[in-house]
Amino acid sequence: METLTHLLSGFAVAGTPTNLLIALAGCFLGTVIGLLPGLGPINGVAILLPIAFAMKLPPESALILLAAVYAGCEYGGRISAILINVPGDAGAVMTTLDGFPMAKKGLAGPALSISAVASFTGSLVATIGIVAFAPALANWAMAFGPAEYFALMVLALSCLGGLVGDSLPKALIACLLGLALACVGIDSNSGVYRYTFDLLHLSDGIPFIVVVIGLFAVSELLLMLESHHADTQAASLSGRLLFNLQEFMLARWTIVRSAVAGFFIGVLPGAGASIASAMTYATERRLAGKDHTFGAGDVRGVAAPEAANNASAYGSLIPMLTLGVPGSGTTAVMIGALTLYNITPGPSLFQDQPIIVWSLIASLFIANIMLLAMNIPLIRLFVKFLDIPNWLLVPGIAAVSLVGVYAVHGTAFDLVLGCLLGGFGYLLRVMNFPMAPLILGFVLGDMMEQNLRRALSISGGELDILYASPLTIGLWLAAAAMLIGPRLLRLVERRRAVALVSA
Amino acid sequence: MSERIFGVGLLLLASGGLWFGWDLHAPVEYEPVGPRAFPLLVYALLGLCSLALVFARGKPVRWAPPPVLLRVGGLFAIVALYAFLFDKLGFILATGLMVVPVSRCFGGTWKQAVFSGAGLAVGLFILFDRLLDVALPAGLWLKPVLG
Repeated sequence: METLTHLLSGFAVAGTPTNLLIALAGCFLGTVIGLLPGLGPINGVAILLPIAFAMKLPPESALILLAAVYAGCEYGGRISAILINVPGDAGAVMTTLDGFPMAKKGLAGPALSISAVASFTGSLVATIGIVAFAPALANWAMAFGPAEYFALMVLALSCLGGLVGDSLPKALIACLLGLALACVGIDSNSGVYRYTFDLLHLSDGIPFIVVVIGLFAVSELLLMLESHHADTQAASLSGRLLFNLQEFMLARWTIVRSAVAGFFIGVLPGAGASIASAMTYATERRLAGKDHTFGAGDVRGVAAPEAANNASAYGSLIPMLTLGVPGSGTTAVMIGALTLYNITPGPSLFQDQPIIVWSLIASLFIANIMLLAMNIPLIRLFVKFLDIPNWLLVPGIAAVSLVGVYAVHGTAFDLVLGCLLGGFGYLLRVMNFPMAPLILGFVLGDMMEQNLRRALSISGGELDILYASPLTIGLWLAAAAMLIGPRLLRLVERRRAVALVSA
Repeated sequence: MSERIFGVGLLLLASGGLWFGWDLHAPVEYEPVGPRAFPLLVYALLGLCSLALVFARGKPVRWAPPPVLLRVGGLFAIVALYAFLFDKLGFILATGLMVVPVSRCFGGTWKQAVFSGAGLAVGLFILFDRLLDVALPAGLWLKPVLG
């Protein structure tokens, strides 16, 4: 009952005309950012956050904007996946498999509309999931001490490190580079300047926006130049726009199953939208038995990944809101957004700042309905954005990104630093280093160090406090399993495949 | 091979981090773990992982062909220069100068490049500085005009 009262007060905040307008703008911008290949939710949130900050939006409005952008990106990614066979963001990779064949058959309209309904259902299921589980989880997490927190953050990093990238050292290096970047600046406990090299601009640490824009936006521009020549022919959006009853009946249970599965995968740290969409796609393909056209334009092949993709994106908000520990790159960026407003996410957030949390959750409901309305009748408008030529789009992104960096501190130092990080990020990305662990490490670095030092202050320097409680032991074991498990499994599978071939 | 070279670079970075981190001492120690423990731990682990990268048998990195790589370098230089001149020339002039070559890089004709340069520079300045209240540097040359 208490939850419902909170939710209603959240709706009261999110439902004011200004905030509704902000949500509408966020949904629109989010969809556009999501559908532009190369720009995903991380860039979207990172570019818009400092602008919202510089516009002096109050914290709850800024969060509503970010939530709407985040939600919009998850809808937008599918548009380019279906029409030009290029996923707009990582979660939409699986959508290309059946979406583009459908579009080539002249069924672009039904593919877009069924995936909009799938996205809507996924988001709705996950938002209800947040309302149902988040307050309880936050309550439980209140009992966490610094040692538990430290272990939990190691778990979050190792989940992401174990699942992404092509080798373990690379994923770990990415984590550690993020942690190392977080060490720059004045140490808040002792006042010692660390790794600032007497540069005044570095004394507060490297601003979060500089790292994100540099590593994601600037390096993305450089990568876009590499792939620029691969011109793709867009499928045209002609014929009927809406799916018919037969298509809906075929896909309805797929949508519900994938939404629920996607939500739970999203709650786990590390396993984000791309894993959720890949897993549900594979499951649905298997469940379909012999009678399917997966890979050649099956509606279920579009519905499953899109429902899972949105559900897991929303589900990953749970660890961020309740534990203050993000599980994905985008939620790490959102944590950074909150700290810009001096809000520290974590279990106490639900008690100290209920308005902020619940207006955020309420705005997810509102944004979702707006997005469904935008994405079915107004789809032709968004398709137009795919026609923006790169010679106008790329310099525009460059300018807007740097405006975002400049908006925070107003110094050219930050801009130059961001560009240098962008060059470094380009090298990392060319060499297949995963970027999500890096940004997660950067966001968690300070919290990890603080909790480690606090824990050791409590114990007077004895290390065994780190593995004294059953909870910490469990977390350490889980971290080790997540780090080694996925790769071990892959190795075993490869051995078995080799054995089969040679037998 | 590139991975190994990069690994050596990271190893140097890690040793540098350890070298600078070693001298971090708090003037007054009142907690068991001072300011240097965490960075030292991070850089030590980074060193170990970069050793693994140097000696592991990695997949060859697929670099873009040299002419494309040269253009990527050029684009990086343009963006870095843009960042450096952002507040010195003011947003409008710096953006205009950045957009034209970047636009050319991405297949625009000279006409398209010049038009998008002028359009983006003025349009974004009006959008952010005037409509959205995000203060942008006008540059010394434009300040007297805008008042």
